[in-house]
Amino acid sequence: MYCYLYDEFIQENKRFERELLKIENRLTDLGIAGKVSRLALFRNAQEMIRDEISRGVSTVVVLGNDETIRKVIDVVADSDAVLGIIPIGPNNELAHMMGIPEGLEACEVLSARRVEKLDIGIVNGRRFLTKLSMPHFHAEMTCEDTFRVTAIARQANLEIRNLASLSDPRDGRFEAVITAAVKNGWGFFGRTSLKESIFPLTSMAIRSDKPISLFVDGEEMISTRFDIGIEPLVLKVITGKERVF
Amino acid sequence: MFKDKKQTVMSNTSNNQTIIAQGVRVEGDFRSQGDVVIDGEVAGSVETQSSLRVGETAKIHADVKAANAVIAGEVQGNIFVQETLELLSTSNVKGDIVASVISVAAGAQLNGRISMDQTTASSGSKTTKGNEEEEV
Repeated sequence: MYCYLYDEFIQENKRFERELLKIENRLTDLGIAGKVSRLALFRNAQEMIRDEISRGVSTVVVLGNDETIRKVIDVVADSDAVLGIIPIGPNNELAHMMGIPEGLEACEVLSARRVEKLDIGIVNGRRFLTKLSMPHFHAEMTCEDTFRVTAIARQANLEIRNLASLSDPRDGRFEAVITAAVKNGWGFFGRTSLKESIFPLTSMAIRSDKPISLFVDGEEMISTRFDIGIEPLVLKVITGKERVF
Repeated sequence: MFKDKKQTVMSNTSNNQTIIAQGVRVEGDFRSQGDVVIDGEVAGSVETQSSLRVGETAKIHADVKAANAVIAGEVQGNIFVQETLELLSTSNVKGDIVASVISVAAGAQLNGRISMDQTTASSGSKTTKGNEEEEV
């Protein structure tokens, strides 16, 4: 049984009316039409999905963008349900990485039902699908409780990638990538180049004396301590042939 | 954060490869199942079940254990390689070496003992450490 979750911005914007009508018709033609739930200002997306899953929904299809997907990831990952995506509007990077075309064409991908199980990252109890980033990384990173990593270059960025162009979100690991600006040569003739260090890990901790910022899928978290781990293969997602992993 | 004049070294992590590049320091017991490339600083111990490549800019103050290794940088510590060890002309090694096959390029700096005994190799760096203690 399918459940379609329409994000608020799709319902409010008349620009999407015709496209939605076409999508609904196509889903009926393909025999995968289902119940429609609409997100609204005071309606909790997670509660809605949880109710639908308890009523026997096996596939939750999100009509919206990356933001809409993030609202439902927690609930879907905690259940046996499969996540489907019909990307509409701007900010559809996640759908792009999963090989799902925008709008009407996504219906064919849904119908083909190529299900992949993906890892989900977790930072201080909060789940993330794509990546974490820490600009100006100068904290200490303890990896797998066995070794410590520090950036000795003046400028360094830290990225923790789960689902990204060079990371496989099905390997049970995330990649901690430190990009350091290193100067080679002296004075005027010195050239700065960026060097990438890559650590495939299952757990790590970041500690700092002062509060530091970490951006989780674009949202900022501030703390002196971040514990990062991975939940292997917990999210079932319908993906397209053009997926990046 | 960084401007476009600088170059980025992009790498493929599909085979579980670890890269410790310049500008990064690792301390502690570093273990990996995949290939390891070191161009930065490492203190403690390094162990991989695959290949190890130590670049010219690397500074390693650690015991090193790998299936195969190519060394072009500085290593202070014992090296145990199950198969082939290659010391390039820019390498500078201070420590004992155990390897099945070894290649040393002209210009390589090597201060330590070399053992190519398979039985010694199978018992690992512990044997090497034991010998060192006897000498002292």
